[in-house]
Amino acid sequence: MLRTRRSLRHRATPALLLAPGLLLFLVVIVFSALRTFWISLHAWDGFGPMTWVGLSNYAELWGDPQFWVSLRNNVIWLAVFLLAPPMGLAIALLVNQKIRTMRLAKSLFFMPLVLSTVTVGVIFVWFYDPSYGLLALLFHAFGASPPAVLSSDTWVTFAVVFAALWPQVAFCMILFLAGLNTLDEEIIGAGRVDNARGWQMLRHIVLPQLRQVAFIALAISMIGALRSFDIIAVMTSGGPFGSSTNLAYQMYQESLFSYRFGYGAALATVLFAIMMVFIVWYLLRLLRDERSA
Amino acid sequence: MTRNTLNRRRFLAATAAAGTSCLAAPLYAQSRELVIISDRGNPDQRAALTDIANAFGREAGVRVSLNNMDHEAHKTAIRNYLVASPPDINFWFSGERMRGFVKRGLFSDITDLVEKNGWADVVPAMSATTVDGRIYGLPTAGLVWGLWYRKDVFDSNGWTPPRTAEDFLSFGQNAREAGMTPIAIGTKEMWPAAGWFDHMNLRINGLDHHRALMEGRIAYTDGSLTRVTDRWAEQVKAGMFLRNETSYGWEQAAAILAQKKAAMMDLAGFIIYGFPEADRAQLRLAPFPTYDTGIGRYEDFSVDSIHIPSGAKNPEVARDFLTYFYQPDRLWEYLKPDGNLPARTDIDVSSDPIMVESRKGLVGVDGTSQYFDRDTDPDVAQAGLKGFQEFMVRPERASDILAGIERARARAYGPL
Amino acid sequence: MYPRQIPETRPVARLAYAACVWIVLAVWLLPVFAIMLTALRTLEDVMAGNYWGWPDRINLWGNLVAVFTQTDMLRYFLNSLIITLPSTALVLILSTMTGYVLARHRFPGATLLFATFIAGNFMPQQVFMIPVRDLMVSLGLYDTFGALIIFHVAFQTGFATLFMRNFIAALPNELFQAARAEGASPGQVLVQIVVPLVRPALAALSILLFTFIWNDYFWAIVLTQTDAVKPVTAGLANLRGEWASSWNVISAATLFVAIPPVVMFFLMQRHFVAGLTMGAVKG
Repeated sequence: MLRTRRSLRHRATPALLLAPGLLLFLVVIVFSALRTFWISLHAWDGFGPMTWVGLSNYAELWGDPQFWVSLRNNVIWLAVFLLAPPMGLAIALLVNQKIRTMRLAKSLFFMPLVLSTVTVGVIFVWFYDPSYGLLALLFHAFGASPPAVLSSDTWVTFAVVFAALWPQVAFCMILFLAGLNTLDEEIIGAGRVDNARGWQMLRHIVLPQLRQVAFIALAISMIGALRSFDIIAVMTSGGPFGSSTNLAYQMYQESLFSYRFGYGAALATVLFAIMMVFIVWYLLRLLRDERSA
Repeated sequence: MTRNTLNRRRFLAATAAAGTSCLAAPLYAQSRELVIISDRGNPDQRAALTDIANAFGREAGVRVSLNNMDHEAHKTAIRNYLVASPPDINFWFSGERMRGFVKRGLFSDITDLVEKNGWADVVPAMSATTVDGRIYGLPTAGLVWGLWYRKDVFDSNGWTPPRTAEDFLSFGQNAREAGMTPIAIGTKEMWPAAGWFDHMNLRINGLDHHRALMEGRIAYTDGSLTRVTDRWAEQVKAGMFLRNETSYGWEQAAAILAQKKAAMMDLAGFIIYGFPEADRAQLRLAPFPTYDTGIGRYEDFSVDSIHIPSGAKNPEVARDFLTYFYQPDRLWEYLKPDGNLPARTDIDVSSDPIMVESRKGLVGVDGTSQYFDRDTDPDVAQAGLKGFQEFMVRPERASDILAGIERARARAYGPL
Repeated sequence: MYPRQIPETRPVARLAYAACVWIVLAVWLLPVFAIMLTALRTLEDVMAGNYWGWPDRINLWGNLVAVFTQTDMLRYFLNSLIITLPSTALVLILSTMTGYVLARHRFPGATLLFATFIAGNFMPQQVFMIPVRDLMVSLGLYDTFGALIIFHVAFQTGFATLFMRNFIAALPNELFQAARAEGASPGQVLVQIVVPLVRPALAALSILLFTFIWNDYFWAIVLTQTDAVKPVTAGLANLRGEWASSWNVISAATLFVAIPPVVMFFLMQRHFVAGLTMGAVKG
């Protein structure tokens, strides 16, 4: 009797603990996500009646030149964001000294993450301004004529991603700082005894211990690369002529400016499918590592 | 440590309580009151509007809640709030952007109010808020578009505003020889390129054609548009426009005009925001040059307006407010800081040189459209803005670009 | 520690090293300096294209006055606190509970649930616009603090659950076995063992959540319409004019708006690094 009541409590409590968070999440987020998929099967301007169009929004994607440009830009975002973890690691190594003022320095390196995306975007627009930007001033100092990177359909995406990289590196830096604080002193000491130095030490002794952190930093950077859109809105509005638009921004634009919610929802679904690859990869790694631990 | 925990607990409890008490409480009670949503960016204009609204509240014994959103966010928000929880008064645009909401029955018919007050006689722009003979909003001000220049620059170079297409190209030649960019334009926000298209199409194909195009009755692949893109490409190749224009917003382009590095710029009265106060007296407005003498003078004249949503909770108060607000002196107080031309012709604008220029700009006009992105379906507008921005950089892609806009047109209006 | 520490016996080297770090930092923070300088400028200076040079006249006071007179910044600021603090607190509570269950209790579908939390969190937020608006309207919460709080709590719970689950999973197994041997109920385990140990993680998470929610503007547009409930980001946007933007005023406002997250970060900094250490590393 006592026993069954106890086991009931052991089973019921976890369910009760899980319930509020899960319910809220299911009702607001999961339900909305499913509705989005439903909307992607319709032509809809956001408040009139919805017209069933089946998969034709997806078919239209295939023939939409902007979709392919957006997809290409997402690949660029992913590729450039791969730099965030190593750069974050570099800064973390730089400041990981027990010297006075280093703690303040750590905090200040983190600053970009606190600024809103709008702010970051605006500052970088000033940076790239072809007449008065810092970049232009640098070019003038060397007697060269400055490029208008935000006007170049070749370079604009790189220029935007570079701006987005700034806070992302700060995020990665914090993760690696945390990682460096948990290194196994004995292994490091043993490495020093074996005369491992510099690069070798990093490569063979430190990095293997940072694998988990690196893996999280990478995953967060990849997701960030796929999801970013607000900095594009601020810096270029996706232009010139759509050449810096990525999938998330195209979805935003189709829904909110062109009032094509069905098409926007189809873009969102495709974006989600791409993200699913990373999410599944992430989960499999996570679970495998836990099982082996 | 205990003190710490206690503080934190108390803090959490307090914030949680604050949260729940605000959760469901309605923000205003259902008494005599008025909710206004505006989208005014100019702080002086916002202050003027606040004064008028407060004065109205005092005189009519109404609690007024005035809410201002930033202009761009408002375009998103209106589609949410008109459906979800309409205010009593809201600010918007006339023309196609209004028509979309009227078609869904989201704006009130105020024809009787306009007739009672005889406003139609003094507001020629009322046609812009009229759909099928019924009036759905009050025009507040209009933006008169044309080519602005500095009088001092033109005088010292002995230039006069170009009148014809040939003048225009030779004027560009002169400006370049004087070390200036002929036309300052910043297409980062895309719409300036579409405004240029409006001018060109109105000059080359006329108003009827332009209306039909905006209403989706002419394909963008139609031969008539090739004439526009050909002439426009000519201008691009002749170096008429600011280089790297997609890097600049219109404000920066206006600054280039103010700094005498460019000769002219296509804009409306709000050009003053890009101009230092001391230089504003130099501003003059010239109409866009003629391309075909057989075609009348048609201009973009974009009309802002103010509306009562049909879901307004206090429609009677809202009507009282419109009557109060639309008196010439109050409307003038509201418009004075902004530089756009009052929709009421019985308002004396002679104290403001920029408005005088704008009003002169309307003299002799044979007909008006609004503006590319205010006249046509939003999907087509978006495609067009992007397309014309691209065209100014890559004129050789004209046919691909027009085909792209045509795809959007066919989507929105169906095949022809 | 790695990298090898510069020994205290070499003060010159330490000083030189610190100097180098601060030079790198100065370059790293160039954009922040640009904002600070712009907050000092006059509008004429900005219009003349002086983005990076020294201001021709210091006008910080004038800009600050403009911030607080042109918009009701203080009310927006208060609104933001009313939205952000309870949202952050609720997410911390909910995600500790869900994270604990997902980390420490095996049951069918656990992995699927966890995957759902992650997947939902990684969706671009704008996707939810219409459904969430409709939901809030039907709950009668449109244009209330409740709408924003509920959305932020629901959305951030995904991310926070991921974070807390990893953290709790990394706690030593022996603790839980011992507690179970003593007959502690799951509720007792949570309160007496988990909560004290995850406090560093909660500190870390609270900064991230606070920053994310504080800086939201998109949902403020979608879910609210009256000034009585709009957050501080709407106040910032209000300073952007229809036709022209006074970047000097906006920069001053930006600095003002960034104060709470910065204060939060400095207060929690020590917990933060410690918190991430355990949560992230044992991932």
